Amino acid sequence: MKLNIEGLLVYFPYDYIYPEQYSYMLELKRTLDAKGHGVLEMPSGTGKTISLLSLIVAYQKAFPLDVTKLIYCSRTVPEIEKVVEELRKLMEFYAKETGEVNNFLALALSSRKNLCIHPEVSSLRFGKEVDGKCHSLTASYIRAQRHSNPDQPVCRFYEEFDAVGRQVPLPAGIYNLDDLKDFGRRKGWCPYYLARYSILHANIVVYSYHYLLDPKIADLVSKELAKKSVVVFDEAHNIDNVCIDSMSVNITRRTLDRCQSNVETLQHTIQKIKDTDAAKLREEYRRLVEGLKEANVARETDVYLANPVLPDEILQEAVPGSIRTAEHFLGFLRRFLEYLKSRLRVHHVVQESAPQFLKDIFEKVCIDRKPLRFCAERLQSLLRTLEIADIADFSAVTLISNFATLVSTYSLGFTIIIEPFDDRTPTIANPVLHFSCMDPSIAIKPVFQRFQSVVITSGTLSPLDIYPKILDFRPVTMASFTMTLARTCLCPLIVGRGNDQVALSSKFETREDFAVIRNYGNLLLEMSAIVPDGIVAFFTSYVYMENIVASWYEQGILENIQRNKLIFIETQDAAETSMALEKYQEACENGRGAILLSVARGKVSEGIDFVHHFGRAVIMFGVPYVYTQSRILKARLEYLRDQFQIRENDFLTFDAMRHAAQCVGRAIRGKTDYGLMIFADKRYARADKRGKLPRWIQEHISDGSLNLTVDETVQLSKHFLRQMAQPFRQVKPPDRRRVSLRVTSPRLLSLCRRTSWVCLC
Amino acid sequence: MASLSEEVLLVVKKVRQRKQDGTLYLMAERIAWGPEGKDRFTVSHPYSDIRCQKISPDGKAKVQLQLVLHTGESTTFHFANESTALKDREAAKELLQQLLPKFKKKANKELEEKNRMLQEDPVLFQLYKDLVVSQVISAEEFWANRLGGLNNSEPAPYSNKQEVGISGAFLADIRPQTDGCNGLRYNLTTDIIESIFRTYPAVKQKYSENVPHSLTEKEFWTRFFQSHYFHRDRINTGTQDIFSECAKQDEKGLMSLVNKGVKNPLVDLLSLEDKTLDEGYGIKQALPSTSNTNKTVKESSNAAIIKRFNHHSAMVLAAGSRKNEVTADQASETSSTDGNSRDSDFFQPPVKKVKLQEAIEYEDLQRESKQKTVALNLKKSDRYAHGPVPLQSQKYTTSQDIINAVNCIQHEMAHYKPNLTQVREKNNNTFLPSTEMVPSDIQGELKHLYVAAGELLRHFWSCFPVNTSFLEDKLTGHLEEMLQTAYSKFHIWQTRRMMRKT
Repeated sequence: MKLNIEGLLVYFPYDYIYPEQYSYMLELKRTLDAKGHGVLEMPSGTGKTISLLSLIVAYQKAFPLDVTKLIYCSRTVPEIEKVVEELRKLMEFYAKETGEVNNFLALALSSRKNLCIHPEVSSLRFGKEVDGKCHSLTASYIRAQRHSNPDQPVCRFYEEFDAVGRQVPLPAGIYNLDDLKDFGRRKGWCPYYLARYSILHANIVVYSYHYLLDPKIADLVSKELAKKSVVVFDEAHNIDNVCIDSMSVNITRRTLDRCQSNVETLQHTIQKIKDTDAAKLREEYRRLVEGLKEANVARETDVYLANPVLPDEILQEAVPGSIRTAEHFLGFLRRFLEYLKSRLRVHHVVQESAPQFLKDIFEKVCIDRKPLRFCAERLQSLLRTLEIADIADFSAVTLISNFATLVSTYSLGFTIIIEPFDDRTPTIANPVLHFSCMDPSIAIKPVFQRFQSVVITSGTLSPLDIYPKILDFRPVTMASFTMTLARTCLCPLIVGRGNDQVALSSKFETREDFAVIRNYGNLLLEMSAIVPDGIVAFFTSYVYMENIVASWYEQGILENIQRNKLIFIETQDAAETSMALEKYQEACENGRGAILLSVARGKVSEGIDFVHHFGRAVIMFGVPYVYTQSRILKARLEYLRDQFQIRENDFLTFDAMRHAAQCVGRAIRGKTDYGLMIFADKRYARADKRGKLPRWIQEHISDGSLNLTVDETVQLSKHFLRQMAQPFRQVKPPDRRRVSLRVTSPRLLSLCRRTSWVCLC
Repeated sequence: MASLSEEVLLVVKKVRQRKQDGTLYLMAERIAWGPEGKDRFTVSHPYSDIRCQKISPDGKAKVQLQLVLHTGESTTFHFANESTALKDREAAKELLQQLLPKFKKKANKELEEKNRMLQEDPVLFQLYKDLVVSQVISAEEFWANRLGGLNNSEPAPYSNKQEVGISGAFLADIRPQTDGCNGLRYNLTTDIIESIFRTYPAVKQKYSENVPHSLTEKEFWTRFFQSHYFHRDRINTGTQDIFSECAKQDEKGLMSLVNKGVKNPLVDLLSLEDKTLDEGYGIKQALPSTSNTNKTVKESSNAAIIKRFNHHSAMVLAAGSRKNEVTADQASETSSTDGNSRDSDFFQPPVKKVKLQEAIEYEDLQRESKQKTVALNLKKSDRYAHGPVPLQSQKYTTSQDIINAVNCIQHEMAHYKPNLTQVREKNNNTFLPSTEMVPSDIQGELKHLYVAAGELLRHFWSCFPVNTSFLEDKLTGHLEEMLQTAYSKFHIWQTRRMMRKT
């Protein structure tokens, strides 16, 4: 259908549209018009992605000079592929409606592991191995060596791409990962580098967060993307954690040991080169005097670590004299290492800020701030000069130099915590230096500064106002949309008591309480008897789940559950969990029914959807608070309080509730779907918790379902399931597509919202 | 003597059977016993007829070995040589133990299958009686035509009975009961044992290795319930336990399942993340359980429970759908070998594509006019396109023939007179016996004859096209005879009926 969104002609590849999709497009259009940033929450399963794509593509077609590119960031590989497929659908619709040949280039970019077609390299299992192997075949000096030594193995796909691939741009079309591989195979070009090269002139790029947020990768991949781009972060409820993760460093004794051996290897290599090819080192020295910028001519295949620090002014400066020669730099690294080792020898926990650390290092080993800042760049240059083939071996020394650069660049927003042992095992010495970022805005700031519109969207972003705060930006639009439903297909219930009136809660004091565990078991048992097909249960943490499963086993609860359904349990091993997941789906598929016990914040809760019969009920046992005793978290909470005036409890609750919402939201992936959402903790009934759930869930929590017992829950669930099991008939209006109807007045719109969809042509 | 040509594996003297002394012979394919001083065997059982062997308890005065046959009969041998009775029996038992399973598997399966088919299908049973028992055709021939479906990948219409799955909680059904004197009683039923065997093939293997050779059935199960294996929360500490091996095997099975990976890319957690953080980055703390040394006993026991549950559920699931899997595997094998598999792949989009398409579908936003169609799954597309091609050249009728024939018929039709006056009276029941006038037993007999003749005709037609000499023999030789026999049988019946009538 064609829509008129405030004067913009939007093609929408379906015959009907949900009202919330229409409102979503309106808000999005306003964001783009204002060239500002936006925060939009819309329930999963209401077609967020397709509305977003339809509008932005229409915008791009209408104003090709204002918005040149759409950068769509998602979290997982399947999500990325889904987005591209939706885009393909949209483009096919465009072609059908307008009759024009599609001139859009859209492509997905992923890591080498998902794109490599080299027979040997692509057979490797782990991403890191693939990267390393690829690098050892495509690095510039390897290829240079080939001129003198034809036996040197190189990647023919890259060679072919390098020779001809750059002249001809990728023909317009929609390229998913598999399409890129197909295309690469046909042409004999490397799909990975082809994709990386093509994103510069593509209209739409779909890739994962890291390519934009992790400075180490962003600098390589996304540096030259046009400023007039629209950036979309989908599934952005965890975006702050992604930002923080990419800027934090942990150093253990093992890291230091490996670093030590790295330095030795470098020393040997330098000695060797000095004997044979001293000119090379002199050349490097000259380059370093001239400044790093020239030294860093775009050599895309040299994937040495890119500078994690973004300020450009550093790159204009010359490397300080004290680390310019290779030997001096190694000496410098050694001193730094020794210093770190001495710091790890502590017997008590130390927490300090970056300036304190710098002061201490200056007093102890006379290392200045300035050379530290250049550490990462200097190492990169050295590794390139020494023509090290396998950079994976040098991950330890790159980590250390990265840390050096970070610690000397940012005085605020980071903290250094040195723990001599793990709190859970105080007898075993295992010193760790955590250099942790506390301010997610540091990593995302360049994105907000550089691109004209950044849209943060997800199914669960409540409360909306906290994201602008912690990411430090000013949005022009903030909106939360609810789900219009033809029938109430979700049923959130808060179970506060067991049948014996014991209060159910996962809070620390009653966590080990036998009665609570038994009542939780009863709840699951009763539900397993009445819910058809699949049930997913989430626990607050892995340890908690293990304990509960063990005591359920002892009490014979699990055996009784097995009478009704098969039980599968998430483990810490991803491969094992994948197997369990597949078997779970198989059991739901063949009608036997199954229960999946899983963990909030785990991989399952973040990346797997349980559509339709794969999840007819989700049970959230307890409130998934983060482990609050961790010092890193405490430091971060303190920082949030001081910098952003966010109360500790507010943040913790916000964090817990967004994860809870993620978990229960896994079951509803569309309006034809239905599912129970059972919150098994009496604390959910409190206004501060409940108020932080997304609006589309909150709306359906009635006052009567705030503090239920297990029996009452079973009654309500039975009723709900019986209702939902009736065939879902939609009373669709007669074909009104030809009738021109534009909903403009808000009253009419709200009227339309009461029905499930509306026709807007 | 027939047995001379056979290989004699073991001879045990002084074995009594029915209070008669004699010698027991174990041969390559049968067990036989002959009374002393006589030159023939009075007892002889092919191994494939033996269901199981039983032995007398060790404490008993009589050292006996009992053979139970499939027919339900049993034969008991008493080892009477006082000094070596036990040893003799052990030797015989051990040899039997090795031999029986070999024959059991093959014979049993077929026999059971035939039995089942006969029991399930009364018509077939009657046919069997008519044709085989009355020796119109041999049993082998009869089955050769029937069992063909069993060995082929496509199931015969008789064997598509749905397999019953296993209850997930069969272990929970074994409630231990205290027997009052500090002991526990477990009640096992054959169903539970069957479930255990199907879910845990390792236990079945142990069972067939150990029972009744080194353990009695009771001992075996006692040990099973005492084992660490049964109690999943206990960690196996490497004690001498016959089930410790099972645990290891299970572990291996689980590992192989895990290593096989998952077919659906949407649930593959390993490839979910696009780019993982390098080691050393990120704020997630290293989990303490990564090294085994600082794992507490409780933690690892908890982990063991979780693992076991996953394994158990996977096995129960697999046991329920094992049969389908095998056929699916076979099908995929055949399709990959016949060189034609490409085109079936071609029409079926890969799993990933399908799953992605499913995930982005909004059916309620689409107009409902679209009908969901099922993709035509062709194993061999050319067969679909061309249809069966006759192997032999046929004599084609020319169009002239057809025209002539039509003319002829027209001519005949034009001169047709119904001769209505010659129609018989309505109540004259000698002509065209209407069903209600014929007694049901005669009807039944006629039906049997009809079915038998039909079966024979089926045999007859299944010989075409005659492309092997065997078929030719069958056709020209005894099939003709058989048809003759059937015809004469019908004739006999008819005359008998006529006789009875008059």
